Amino acid sequence: MPQLWTEKYRPKKVAEVVGNQDSVKAFLEWMKSWEIGNPAKKAALLYGPAGVGKTSLVLAYGREYGYDVVEVNASDWRNEEKMKAVVGESSQYASLDGYSKKIILVDEVDGIAGREDAGGISALRKIINETRVPIVMVANNPWDQKLAPIREQSVMIEFKRLSKTAITKRLKEICEREGIKVPDDVLSKLAERSEGDLRSAIMDLQAVAAGKNTLTEKDLEVLGERNRVKEIFEALRYIFYAKSIRGARAAIEGLELEPQAIYTWILDNAPTQITEPDELAQAFDLLARADIYFARIEKLQMWRLMKYAIPMMTGGVAVARRTPPKGFQKFTFPHKIRLFQQYKNEREIRQSIAWKIASKLHLSSYKAGKEMLPYIGFIISRSDKSKPRIVEYFEFTDEEVGYLKKIYGGVEEKKEEIKEVKVKKPVKHSRGKS
Amino acid sequence: MSLETVTTLPWVEKYRPKTLNDVVNQEEVITSLKNILKTKAVPHMLFAGPPGVGKTATAHAFARDLYGPNYIEDGWFVEINASDERGIQTIRDKVKMFARQIPMGGEVGFKILLLDESDQLTDDAQHAFRRVMEQYSSTCRFILAANYSNRIIEPIQSRCAVFRFRPLLKKDIIGRIKWIAEQEKLEVDDAALETIYEFCEGDMRRAINTLQAAASISRKIDEKTVYYILGYVSRGEIRKILELAMSGNFIQARDELRKLIYVQGLAGSDIVSAIYRELFYLDLSEEDKLELIDLLGEVDYRMAEGGTEEVQLMAFLARLAAKSKKVNVGR
Repeated sequence: MPQLWTEKYRPKKVAEVVGNQDSVKAFLEWMKSWEIGNPAKKAALLYGPAGVGKTSLVLAYGREYGYDVVEVNASDWRNEEKMKAVVGESSQYASLDGYSKKIILVDEVDGIAGREDAGGISALRKIINETRVPIVMVANNPWDQKLAPIREQSVMIEFKRLSKTAITKRLKEICEREGIKVPDDVLSKLAERSEGDLRSAIMDLQAVAAGKNTLTEKDLEVLGERNRVKEIFEALRYIFYAKSIRGARAAIEGLELEPQAIYTWILDNAPTQITEPDELAQAFDLLARADIYFARIEKLQMWRLMKYAIPMMTGGVAVARRTPPKGFQKFTFPHKIRLFQQYKNEREIRQSIAWKIASKLHLSSYKAGKEMLPYIGFIISRSDKSKPRIVEYFEFTDEEVGYLKKIYGGVEEKKEEIKEVKVKKPVKHSRGKS
Repeated sequence: MSLETVTTLPWVEKYRPKTLNDVVNQEEVITSLKNILKTKAVPHMLFAGPPGVGKTATAHAFARDLYGPNYIEDGWFVEINASDERGIQTIRDKVKMFARQIPMGGEVGFKILLLDESDQLTDDAQHAFRRVMEQYSSTCRFILAANYSNRIIEPIQSRCAVFRFRPLLKKDIIGRIKWIAEQEKLEVDDAALETIYEFCEGDMRRAINTLQAAASISRKIDEKTVYYILGYVSRGEIRKILELAMSGNFIQARDELRKLIYVQGLAGSDIVSAIYRELFYLDLSEEDKLELIDLLGEVDYRMAEGGTEEVQLMAFLARLAAKSKKVNVGR
């Protein structure tokens, strides 16, 4: 089994880390404060999307400056006891050989934010207070309320998605080292589909290029869509369960989605996550406000209004949701997207019917669909004949008649049944309009 | 069970006025049009008035009286609906095609083009259309039909003789429905007539459609039959959505609302109007109704401002759901 290129080409020195130069600089400064012995904060929290070099930076630094990196991740420890045993011990002593220096790397720290291992967080907090060695934590989303105490103790260093150019450049270096000839535009395609995630880009490159001398665009066709949906689900969880507007707002920062796209997800998940009618009404009030901001942004090209829309749509649902849901409600794809696919056929049939009515009755197709179609559907559905003349008159196809009967046919009512239909007689009121 | 004639033709077509004499309750307009017919000096005309009062029908009747029964077949008259062809280019192309040649024979030296729902044209399109009116006026006269004349730009209005169509009166609508019922040999009682009138909001088309739908289930039409039709066809979908929201099925209400918008293609403003009509009859306190009317007005305004229809309407449904929950708890 050949080595994974993601490991083989992990940066050996800090200078080889791609992109995020400000973050790298912040990290170096923090480590320097340890070197001279008076760190203002004993821990650092590196956060940002996957595959942008957070862990790589720590590993490269350790290697270059002679630190042992003791790595633990969320799967290694969950509770207080384990935390103390593994991390606590390690933080009090120098390395085994008593010579080299040490960094503790706590990966996936947001993974211990769950309710069941809250003890783990408080233990970690204590460990940070007492540590004698630098503790570096890594997270994709650090804004969970549970992590608040740790955030206060840490230097927060944000990592952003990498630019397409930076990724392309790195892929090119790897290809040269592997002796593969790849046109720039193919690399650029690979970089693009990685959406700023260098690790996934290198994975893809190895998958399609390993053992080849050249690579064409056609070779990329075997690559499947990498699933970024997971990220949005995670973000939704942070949004709906955030304790502050700031926290909810921060949850969408890492997502490479337009705020309006995220909005659709929030909108359609709100009714399942918020079950109290009062709270849902409040959430929708705020979502409707956000919608108005979007409209104004669009109309006036006033992009700075976005900063009002975002707290409305993120903080809005978080603040409105006060009652915990009964059991776990999973997040779903926006219903609207499904609806469009599901009803495409129906929409087309309906439109075709409306056009036929419009052309016969001197109406716009819109009015025909609204004012005439339901009545005609009703009348056709109640006809004794299998093909009443009105069908011929409008030249409806069998499919169209089938649709009308399906929608307006309903139950076959008899006169007696009509009498039982509950329709409240309206209170007489005068018509206000002309 | 159903009568043969019910399923032959739409009655709005069957009983459309064929000549100017058949047009109901627009005496002033009809008198003027008859005078124009005498001289055959036809100006550009703007027919303004609410829906379903006979604007389109009058234009057709006028053309028939002017050119004879084959006014369409012989190529004298054409009708374009502005709401389906908003682009001024399509209209111009069609106008050019139509106005370029005059049919052989006939004593009238020009054609007539009816531009229906012309208030749907954008300002830009209207300005372009104004030049078209001038360019082709020797071969073609225009009749513009519109619900709101103030949505037609002034330069166009000033080039037209403006005819205001009056809203239909109760006696006009009930009289016409009664007359159609006689022709179709239906028995319609007075309460049924009242109910048809109550809900048609001055729109003859809606009144005739209701009658025909009712006739499709029974030739004896009473109040209950009419309510059934109203509940089933005219108001059914909106009422269902409101009831779903009020009984705590918000998600289903949302899904039905989306079907109205995205499958049926209903405009948000029409959905708002329909909700408005129903609001008064909902099982809520009068205070809550007022609050909801106010909110609905806000929804209406926001949609005009560019807000997304489904979002603003969902916010309304969510508030309605919260209100009705309080009612249920309070009992």
